[in-house]
Amino acid sequence: MLVLLKLLQQLVKTLSSEGTPGQIAAGMALGAALGLTPLINLHNLVILAAIMVFNVSFPGAMLGWALAVPVGFALDPLFDVVGRWFLLETPALTPLWTRLYNVPVAPLTNFNNTVVLGSLVSWVVLALPIYFLGRWGVGRYRARLYPRLAQSRVFQAVTASKLYNLYRRFRPD
Amino acid sequence: MRAVRWKAVIPLGATLVLVALFWWLFLDLAVERAVEYAGTEIVGARVDLASADVSLGRGAVVLRGLEVTNPDRAMTNLMQADQIVAQVRVLPLLEKKVVIDTMAVRGVRFGTPRRTSGAIARQSPTTGRVGRAVADWANRIRIPPLNLQGLTTVVDVSRINPDSLRTTTQARAIAHQGDSLQGLWRAELARLDPQPQIDSARALIARLRQADVRALGLIGARDLVNSSRASATQLGQAVDRVKAVETRVKTGVAGLRSQVDGLAQARQADYAYARGLVNLPSLDAPDLSPALFGEMAVERLKPMLYWLNLAEQYLPPGLEARRQRGPDRVRASGTTARFPRVRELPAFLLVYAGADAEVGGEGAAAGRYAATITGLTTAPALYGRPTRFAAQRAAAVAGPRTGNMVAILNHVSAPITDSIVAALDGVALPTVGLAAAGATLALGSGAVRVWLARAGDNVEGSMAWSSNNVRWAPSDSAGPSDRRTAEPSIGSAQWVEDLLWRTVSRLTSVEVEVRLAGRVTAPAIGVRSNVGREVAQALRREIGDEVSRQEQRLRAEVDRRVEQQVQDAERRVAEVQMQVEAAVTAKRTELEAVKTELENQIRELTRRLPVRIP
Repeated sequence: MLVLLKLLQQLVKTLSSEGTPGQIAAGMALGAALGLTPLINLHNLVILAAIMVFNVSFPGAMLGWALAVPVGFALDPLFDVVGRWFLLETPALTPLWTRLYNVPVAPLTNFNNTVVLGSLVSWVVLALPIYFLGRWGVGRYRARLYPRLAQSRVFQAVTASKLYNLYRRFRPD
Repeated sequence: MRAVRWKAVIPLGATLVLVALFWWLFLDLAVERAVEYAGTEIVGARVDLASADVSLGRGAVVLRGLEVTNPDRAMTNLMQADQIVAQVRVLPLLEKKVVIDTMAVRGVRFGTPRRTSGAIARQSPTTGRVGRAVADWANRIRIPPLNLQGLTTVVDVSRINPDSLRTTTQARAIAHQGDSLQGLWRAELARLDPQPQIDSARALIARLRQADVRALGLIGARDLVNSSRASATQLGQAVDRVKAVETRVKTGVAGLRSQVDGLAQARQADYAYARGLVNLPSLDAPDLSPALFGEMAVERLKPMLYWLNLAEQYLPPGLEARRQRGPDRVRASGTTARFPRVRELPAFLLVYAGADAEVGGEGAAAGRYAATITGLTTAPALYGRPTRFAAQRAAAVAGPRTGNMVAILNHVSAPITDSIVAALDGVALPTVGLAAAGATLALGSGAVRVWLARAGDNVEGSMAWSSNNVRWAPSDSAGPSDRRTAEPSIGSAQWVEDLLWRTVSRLTSVEVEVRLAGRVTAPAIGVRSNVGREVAQALRREIGDEVSRQEQRLRAEVDRRVEQQVQDAERRVAEVQMQVEAAVTAKRTELEAVKTELENQIRELTRRLPVRIP
């Protein structure tokens, strides 16, 4: 329950932040990688660095991550199928995998695991749709829902929390 | 709006430093867990490590307190090592490859007891599959019981079910097949139906006989000759078709005859089956040895087959992509593939390992041992040389000094070839329970000889134990003779125990040899032992005549129950041979005769013509 409340809090704060819808959507698209793919992998360190360095919404990324985690769990069988197809059932790609497998650092990314590869490929495919959907959604939210929500006591309580203050330090410029 | 958030570079750097620091702090723990995880996955039982000390800069790894559980005995360690010092190449680690140039193992001990159970709830798919296959094989091995009770009682022949006899089943199958083939061939002959052709040819022969060349004229005579020649050709084709049927019939009949001959072999199997059904023992030594030592043989062979099959799984030949289950994690494991490439390093390679082991005490096995392993790798095709294990006794405290073992696993290319040769003296041999004799046999210390050769899927080998200082002991405190209250009647349980005890307790030396041959997943085994021979001779002396009489009765009963079916089968085959084969042969003979006659008449007519017809 507490997790759900925190998720709700984060959702509200993120959507009403001062970042542009594009920044929030880009953050969500990047953050989705952390949730869709198995977390403890080298590529996620790169994704995390990108979230921090590029001028995208950090809370947006966290929101994308949080929303993508259950999706990632649910779609693991599908990722396995996709990864299997790319890794094991497409002979044309075998030379590429063989080369990568014998190159320093590349094997540390666990690309040779069907779930890792399948989820990464799926994220690459889904990143743009997530971005555009997010941008459209945030825009609609701010135009229609936010003005009414801002008047509510719940919203004011949430924005007054310490978490919100912490977030303000990392909000997009 | 700027694309890059420069003020985040420092937090990012700090994060990366934190990650690196975390990794460095927990590297030892990570290596410890990795060794335990990988070892457990491979062995199929728990592998514990007390600590790991990794110095990446020097490429040195020190493992302490390694305990490898015996997969067959959860409370016993297969091997325990106090310290393992490995020199690891650092650069291949970036490719997630572990290449160990040298490894020194100190303080090795075998068969030490464990404080906690080393059993695991779930074996890895590979290990589990191999373990199950070996267990299935062991369960399928049928060890004949040494049950001599009821020898002199009347054999209950009514227990022999005719439907369970192989001869009956095969004889019925032959008869059924004979019926089917007979119908098939008759139909085939009916389809050919050469009778109209024969009748037509006979009419033509009559016409040729009565033909008047002058009345026919040259053209009429030529037409008659040509049409007669066409008929002769058609007759020749009909002869060929009938001959083909005749060949098939003869082959089929020969096959049926051969099956009838095979009934004698089936009957021998039925005799053995019936003997097992009524507990009538064979008095041949090879049959008694499996009953006495079969279980021990299977128990000793199980680990050997387990490791042999496991080696095939983890040291596969060739350079194809290898698949294995992905790592255990909260998310799905998936499948992890490895893509070995020529002239690259394998995922795991142990170039050289040396181990010193010391067995303490004053026993025959006490002394120092030295072992080496070279070229142990997950991709033998990349390393290009076979894996070699060698161990020898360097110094013995007591007993003979000999003791060595060499195993060569050549998995460089398919078919894989493995060979193991071991000769150990002064080894502590097991104690075997012989329930039928109410005794236990302590083999004491003795010699073990092992040789095993594998080529592809086939394996052949033998294990032999010999001891000159065996001790026999009754299974319970009161020995068979002590328990006796009166002279036991022949064939009673007490009599059997007494006989076996009298026979085996005199033996001071025992030799047991187990041979195996066949597919490596399920080889057949044979057991020979001087104990089996002695028991067989004693039985032959004491009850040989009675067993022979009972066996004669048993054979007569089997004969009686299968005779009708065998006769039916023979009669059916004879009928097929007489009726179909004779009919086909007769038809072919008739066709050939008519054809010959027609050709003669054509020649006769053409001779009478004034000009030659081409």
